[in-house]
Amino acid sequence: MHDTVIAPGGTDLDVDVRNLTRVEGEGSLHLRVREGAVESARLEIFEAPRYFERLVVSRSMDEVIDIVARICGICPVAYQMTAVHAAEAAFGIEVDPATVALRRLLYCGEWIESHALHIYLLHLPDLLGYPSALDLAQHDRTTVEGGLRLKRAGNAIVARIGGRAIHPVSVRVGGFSRVIRRDEIRSLRADLVGALDLAEATIELVAGLRPPTFRREARLVALRDAATYPMNHGRIVSNDGLDIPATAWETMFEERQVAWSHALQATGRDGQPYLLGPSSRVTLDGDLLHPRAVAALERLDLGDQIAHEPNWSIAARAVELVHAIAEAIDIVDTYEPPERAIVPWTPRAGVAAWATEAPRGTLFQRFALDTNGHVETARIVPPTSQNQAAIEADLALFAPTILDRPKDEITHLLEQLIRSYDPCISCATHFLDVRVEDVS
Amino acid sequence: MTALLDVAPVARRPEIAETLEGVDVVRPTHVEVLACGALDRGDDGAAVMAVGRLADALPLDVRTRIVGQLDIDDLLTVPKGAGVVVADTALGVDPGWIVEIPFSGLAGREAGIRPRSSHALSIPETIAVASIIRGHPLPGIVVAIGGVDFGLGEALSWPVASAMDAFVLAIADAIGRVRTLVLAG
Repeated sequence: MHDTVIAPGGTDLDVDVRNLTRVEGEGSLHLRVREGAVESARLEIFEAPRYFERLVVSRSMDEVIDIVARICGICPVAYQMTAVHAAEAAFGIEVDPATVALRRLLYCGEWIESHALHIYLLHLPDLLGYPSALDLAQHDRTTVEGGLRLKRAGNAIVARIGGRAIHPVSVRVGGFSRVIRRDEIRSLRADLVGALDLAEATIELVAGLRPPTFRREARLVALRDAATYPMNHGRIVSNDGLDIPATAWETMFEERQVAWSHALQATGRDGQPYLLGPSSRVTLDGDLLHPRAVAALERLDLGDQIAHEPNWSIAARAVELVHAIAEAIDIVDTYEPPERAIVPWTPRAGVAAWATEAPRGTLFQRFALDTNGHVETARIVPPTSQNQAAIEADLALFAPTILDRPKDEITHLLEQLIRSYDPCISCATHFLDVRVEDVS
Repeated sequence: MTALLDVAPVARRPEIAETLEGVDVVRPTHVEVLACGALDRGDDGAAVMAVGRLADALPLDVRTRIVGQLDIDDLLTVPKGAGVVVADTALGVDPGWIVEIPFSGLAGREAGIRPRSSHALSIPETIAVASIIRGHPLPGIVVAIGGVDFGLGEALSWPVASAMDAFVLAIADAIGRVRTLVLAG
C-alpha cells in the first residue's frame, strides 16, 4: 500500500486502535510493523454504508437538498450548498445577490460551529495534555466555555437561516423557502462580535501550543476563487500546479474500493494521495482571507508549519474561525433581503455537478438528471473519503519516528495525529478505533 | 442514537416496566425531558415519538424538547434547580429492551458509552462537561431503548414498535423519580 518505511529500532509492532475517540463516526486504525518496517497503515472504516447515492435516485433536486443534509449532523450545510449550486448551474438559474450572501453566511455558520467544536472539544485536549474534553473542562472551565460560546454563535446562524441548527431545511433550488428579514439577520450581530473576540483569543491560545513534530511534503488541494476565500465556489487547485474547474473533479481524481473500508478511497488519477481541509485552504488561499484573519495568520507566523505539519492544523482552523466570524459580521452588516424568496426555474435534463468547501475540505457532487430534473445517477465524494489515503500515508511516515516510545504513547500519538485531520467518518461512510499488540 | 457498550445498572424487559400510577403531578417542580433522535430515521425516532405521546399527560412544570443529538448547550439551558430526563435510542442493547442510567452512574463510563452517528462527544462527556460549566451536578436519568434499524425513511423496527408503550411508561417513570429527587433537594 505504501512504500516500506524502516524504523530505527527494528521492532515488530501491531497497533490497533478500536473506537478512536473524539472523531466523528466509527472506524479503527491498524498499523503493522515488522522488523522496523511499516508494512501497512490502514484506517479501517467499518461504520455501515449508508447508500445515500441510491436514496436520491428519482428524486427532484429540492428533495435531494434535504436528503443529502442527512449525511452529516456536523456539516449538513456543505451537502446542501453543493447540491443546490449544482442544480442551479444545471438549470441555468441565477439567484438574487442577497441569496448568495445568505448562503455564504449560512456556510460561515457551519464553519464556525464545526471549527469551534474541533478546536476546543476534540483537538485542544490533546495539545494541552488532557485525556478528554471533560478533563480540560475540569481544569480550565473558562477555555471550554469560550469554545462553547463560539460554537453557539455558529449554531445561531444555521438555526436562523436554516430553520434549525441540525439538518437545516430552508435551502431551496432558486433561493430559500422564505424571505429572511433584515432584523432577523441583524439580531445575530452582538453574539458574532463577542465571538470574534473569542476567536482572536483562540489565536493567542494556539500560538502557545507545542504539538508533536511531524513534518512531511503533502499534495494539498482546495478550491480557489478569484476574489473570495473558497466556500461556495471556486476552481480546484493544488500546490503542485493543478488548476481545473470544480465540475471536472472526475478528470483528475478517482475513487476506489479498498478491502478495509466501507468508504470509497479517493486518490489522484496518478494514484497519489492528497490532502483537503483548513491547512490546504490556508496554504493555497491565504491571500484571500478576511483582513482580520490575515492579521491573525501573520501573528501566528505558522504558515510553513500549517503547510507541512498536520499537527498544526489547529492553527489553520483557528485562522479560519476568525475569517468565518469576521466575514459573517460583514454580511450581517450589509444584508438587504431579496425581493422574492425563490426565483422561478424550470427543470431540464443534464448533469448537475459542483464542489464547495466543507469545514473538512472539498466536497464534490455530480447528479445525472432526466428531463424532469430528477436524479438518474449520483456521485457524492465527501472530504474524509478523499483524505483517507493521505492520512494513511502520513501514519506510515510518522509511525517509524515514534517506535522507540512506550506502547501507550505510540497509540496516543497516532490517535492524536488522526484527530488532527478532523475526520468525519459518518460522512465518508463513514469511520475510527487503535489496538496495540506488541508481537516482538 | 448512542452506543451503550458497557451498559446496565438497570435493564429490564419492556413488559415489566412500571406504570404512571403514583407519579406526583401536584407538587410544583421542574423537569426537562430531552428527546434525542430524528423521526425519519427508523428507530432513531423512538424517543421523539415516545415523548410526543407523553406530552399531554405531563404536568405543566415538565418541559419537553426535541434536541436531535444531545449537545452541551441543551443541558446548559436547563433551568437552575431542574432535573433532566434524556430519552434516546441505543445500540449495544437488544432491540426493544429498555435501559436507564442515572447521570450519577455515568461517571467513568465514557469508554463504554460512546457516540454514534453524528454525536461528537459521548453522552457521559456531554453531561459531565455541562455539569462542570453549570457549577454543580445535574440530577437526571438517561432512558434508552435498544434499536436496530436507523436508515433514512425507515419505520420503527418490529422490536422497537412493540416496546413503545413500555418505553413511554419508562420515560414517565423516570420523570416522576427525577421530580421527586429535585423536590427532595
